[in-house]
Amino acid sequence: MIRLENVTKIYNSEVTALRDATFDVAKGEFVFLVGPSGSGKSTLLRMMNRQEKPEKGAVWVAGRNINEMPDSKVPHLRRNIGNIFQDYKLLLNKTVHENVAFALEVIGRPKHVIRQQVPAVMDLVGLTGKQDRFPHQLSGGEQQRVSIARAFVNRPLILLADEPTGNLDPGTGEGIMRLLDRINKTGTTVVMATHDQRIVNMMRKRVIQMDRGIIVRDQARGVYE
Amino acid sequence: MWSRLAYTFRETGASLRRNVTLTVAAILTSAVSLFLVGGTFLVQRGFDNLLSKWAGGVQMIVYVNPTATPDQITNIRTVLAQNTNVVDVSKLDYLDYARSLEEAKRLFAADPGTLNLLNQTNLPTQFKVVPIVGKTDVLVQFEKSFAGLPEVKKIVLARDQIEQISKLRDFVQTVTVGLSILLLIGALILIWTTIRTAMYARRREIEVMKLVGATNWFIRIPFMLEGLIQGLVGAVMSCGFLLFFNRLWTNGVVKLKGDNGFQALVVSNSFLNFVMLMLLLFGMVAGAIASGIAASRFLDV
Ligand SMILES: Nc1ncnc2c1ncn2[C@@H]1O[C@H](COP(=O)(O)OP(=O)(O)O)[C@@H](O)[C@H]1O
Ligand SMILES: [Mg+2]
Repeated sequence: MIRLENVTKIYNSEVTALRDATFDVAKGEFVFLVGPSGSGKSTLLRMMNRQEKPEKGAVWVAGRNINEMPDSKVPHLRRNIGNIFQDYKLLLNKTVHENVAFALEVIGRPKHVIRQQVPAVMDLVGLTGKQDRFPHQLSGGEQQRVSIARAFVNRPLILLADEPTGNLDPGTGEGIMRLLDRINKTGTTVVMATHDQRIVNMMRKRVIQMDRGIIVRDQARGVYE
Repeated sequence: MWSRLAYTFRETGASLRRNVTLTVAAILTSAVSLFLVGGTFLVQRGFDNLLSKWAGGVQMIVYVNPTATPDQITNIRTVLAQNTNVVDVSKLDYLDYARSLEEAKRLFAADPGTLNLLNQTNLPTQFKVVPIVGKTDVLVQFEKSFAGLPEVKKIVLARDQIEQISKLRDFVQTVTVGLSILLLIGALILIWTTIRTAMYARRREIEVMKLVGATNWFIRIPFMLEGLIQGLVGAVMSCGFLLFFNRLWTNGVVKLKGDNGFQALVVSNSFLNFVMLMLLLFGMVAGAIASGIAASRFLDV
């Protein structure tokens, strides 16, 4: 589903954020990217939906070399990739329902599709009944569920999560992990960057460990260390 | 399709409301600059009308009484054409009644009252005389002798009319073109700034839109529509100014009675309409394109 080949990323011709990274993620896999802050986890995720282009190497997604893709095709690539973040990136002036519907609206999905898919995904993330609230009327965990709903409402092949539990207390974070696990079980490939040891050790999924831009460990059913 | 349209209009409206001050400034500047552009065209057209009877190097016009017989007209032509060392005979042109009337229509556009009174018995016909290069001074000395020919009504010399008018025209042109270019640049910068501010206000939405796979066109179009509306409203206002000042000017000129030549400084309604249409189109297109470029610039950061 995702393949990186000898990927090197250098910011502003000086900071080498990734050095010669190579790995494969199979369809339906769940992968943790772990490592200290600044080790290149976010950069790696941004490579996978072409928010960044590598200086060297190739990134393949769903069988296509996305760095050779023309800019005009990038939106279609991104429709197959959901994104969630530590800070949720919700639109504060929109309700829960509008935030989720927005993701379908701006890719031109017709009204009847929106009417059908939004409540379904609300149900999946456990927010039924809260669709008319605004983000500031929700807890952090609920806000993250809205952002997961928005990322998943278009049923993407891949979900990229950048420290989704970073702002949450342990119990709430566990709830989010159970939700991501459920989504993964529907066949969606999940790549999640985190430095939350407890969660990595609890889930026992594949672990790719980064250190200063280099992959130092790639282990199935791994722990944080 | 419908949800897209609704989306576009909703976003455009919200953005215009959010940026009232900048939007108003952009609209007013476009209005004034487009008004000056339109005014430049009208003033130039007026001067062109005024000078058109001298087009092609004509230095002397011999007006012939409408009562002249064909023989008398031939006689005048023969006398004029004899002076081969002064008159460029190949360019000697006689405007018969039909062509003189055509010219009068242009010159008296402001004065339909006078135009309606013109007919075959009172409109002079005319010879337009182009001198051989460098012989203008000599030609002028012949004025008196040509004036004595039978059925010549009067003789008018270009140097008495044309030079001051040309100078005035060039001066006015420099000032109006210069000012309108400056103001147009100002208007475009303001539209640009409005769009940048609007995009900054919506940077989070734009980030999310890009992440979920909205196309750049989809993101750009509400901003382009915003620029188009600003340009259009500015152009409509400029047309209002133009109509108002043109009316004022035309009424003023019509009140100046007598054959003073100023009637020609008025433009026809069809030309005015043409200029206004151009302003509307230009306002919309320039507004949309400036915003589109601004939006693209800020989209890929
Ligand atoms: N947009 C950027 N411009 C310049 N340097 C960056 C940028 N993003 C990240 N970096 C640098 O790249 C390195 C890796 O950063 P990042 O991928 O954010 O790591 P992590 O997510 O593991 O904390 C860091 O040294 C960081 O300072
Ligand atoms: Mg990071």
